[in-house]
Order: sequence, then structure tokens, then C-alpha cells
Amino acid sequence: MQWSTLFQKELLENWRNKKWIWVPLVIILLSIMDPITNYFLPQIIESVGGMPDGTVFELPDFSPSEVIMMSLSQLSSLGVLVIVLLSMGTISGERKSGVSELILVKPVSYSNYITSKWLSLLLLVWLSLFLGLLMSWYYTNILYGTLSFVDFTKVFFFYGIWLTLVVSLSIFYNSIFKSSGLVAFFTILTIMIMSIITKIFHHVLDWSPNNLSIYIQEMLTAEKINGDLWATSGVALAISVLLVLVSIQMFKRKEMAG
Amino acid sequence: METINWALLAPLLIIEFLLLIVAIVDLIKVKETNGPKWMWALIIIVISIIGPVLYFIFGRRQR
Repeated sequence: MQWSTLFQKELLENWRNKKWIWVPLVIILLSIMDPITNYFLPQIIESVGGMPDGTVFELPDFSPSEVIMMSLSQLSSLGVLVIVLLSMGTISGERKSGVSELILVKPVSYSNYITSKWLSLLLLVWLSLFLGLLMSWYYTNILYGTLSFVDFTKVFFFYGIWLTLVVSLSIFYNSIFKSSGLVAFFTILTIMIMSIITKIFHHVLDWSPNNLSIYIQEMLTAEKINGDLWATSGVALAISVLLVLVSIQMFKRKEMAG
Repeated sequence: METINWALLAPLLIIEFLLLIVAIVDLIKVKETNGPKWMWALIIIVISIIGPVLYFIFGRRQR
């Protein structure tokens, strides 16, 4: 009851600040940019010119699964950046401006407050990801060749887990810092450090969440979901839930002290 | 030069346009922004795609 009120407040807030419009649009743009530019690359090179006569370009022919992976790699860099920036102020901003105090003066439980924020962000991110990948899948099918709808849903599902972890990290830092700049900085720093550690200790850290994209690609080429992908997804989800639980505790402690 | 297939590019242009319109309408409606309004109007119009996104992230004042 209380939770759904808070959740609706979040949805309304995201509607008012237009997140429901611009986030899906940006994610769609990021997902379809690479498939389209690669398709038009010969024409782009030709119109830019400057090549001596007789230059022959061997442009690689991309397979449908490679194209959808291009979308994922855009989402992993710029997409993650957008998600971090849009979520950086979700709690820290409210604490700074005093809105959270107004809310928490009432008997609102800290866990309801945090989880409603977390889930409303996840809803926004998953919906945007769905639309983005759907467009990318559409372009892949008309420009490069067929990729089955089942493959598309699998890519969507497993990649969504990675973005869930990103959102959870941001919520975690939101519960610690009051400055949204610090939240964004530490979220990105953590993701970078995770990826470096995964690269250095790749022989031990088979199930590091940063490997999700690699396993998704393997899934597309091998056309079956291997155990590593399930395990990695499980690890990513477990870390996400843990982060949210810790955030609730951190937030409780901070608010009690403040 | 070969003809460019505009049907393929149309969604890109439509999305770019939508972002611009939503950002401008929001800028006009909103009372205060971080920094002068005319500056944001310029950023939104001149820098395609990134301009509106910058406005939504940094321009709107957190209440």
C-alpha cells in the first residue's frame, strides 16, 4: 500500500522531468547508430572522398549477431554513462534539497523508500533497453539478415541484468553521498575498476558480471545458453540485491545520525 | 552518387527532432534552470542529440 504510493510518486516524478521520454529515445538512438552507420559506410567513404582512383575497400560483411553486439557495446559505454547520469540524483538530490526529509518525516519505511526508487529506475531502464534493442533487431533484420526473435529476447534479458547491476550500484552510492556528482563519479569508477580486475584475473573470475556481454556473444554464435551465462547472471543479480539491501542499511544509519 | 535510402534514416531524424522539441517545450515551461535560459536554448538547438540530453541531465534544476 505505502510502497505503491511511493512507487507511483516516482513514476510521476520521472514523467514530470521527462525521463520517460528522453531516456528511451536516447537508448534507441545509441542502439541503432552503429547498425545504420556501418550499413552506409561505403557511401560515407565515397562522399567524403579523398581516395585515389582504384582504391578498393574490403569492408567486412557483418553477421546479424555481430550487429546486435555492436548495439550492446554502444550501450555498455554511452548507455551506461546515460543511466549513471540520470540516476545520480535520485536519492542524493532529494536529500540535498530536503524532499527526502519531508517524505521520511511520515512513517515511511526506509526499505520502501529505497526499493521504490530502485524499481522505478529499473522499469525505466528495462523499457528503454527493450525499445532500443527492438529497433536494433529490426534494422539488423532488414539490413544484415535474420536474427530470430527468440535470440533477441535472450539478448534483451541477459543484457538487462548487466544494466540492473549498474542501477543498483548507483542506488548504493546514492545512499552514501549527498552530492550527485560524487555518486556518478564513484559509480563509473567502480564499473571501471570491476572491468580492470576482471581483465587481470580473468582466469579466476569466470563469473564476473563484466563478462556478461562476452557470454551473450557466445550464446549467439553457439546458439545455446551455456552454464557460464546463467552463473554470471546469477552473480550479477545477487550482487544487485545485496547492494540494495546494504543501501537500505546505510541510508537508515545516515538518516538516524543526521 | 547513389541515392540514399531515406526510409532507413527517417527514424534517426525523427528521434533527433523529437528530442529537440521535447527539450525546447520543457525549457519554455520550466521556471528556472541551472544557468541562463538562452544559453540552454542555444545548446539544445545547436548541438544535435547531445544538446537536449545535456539539458535534461544538467539544465533542469533539481527541486
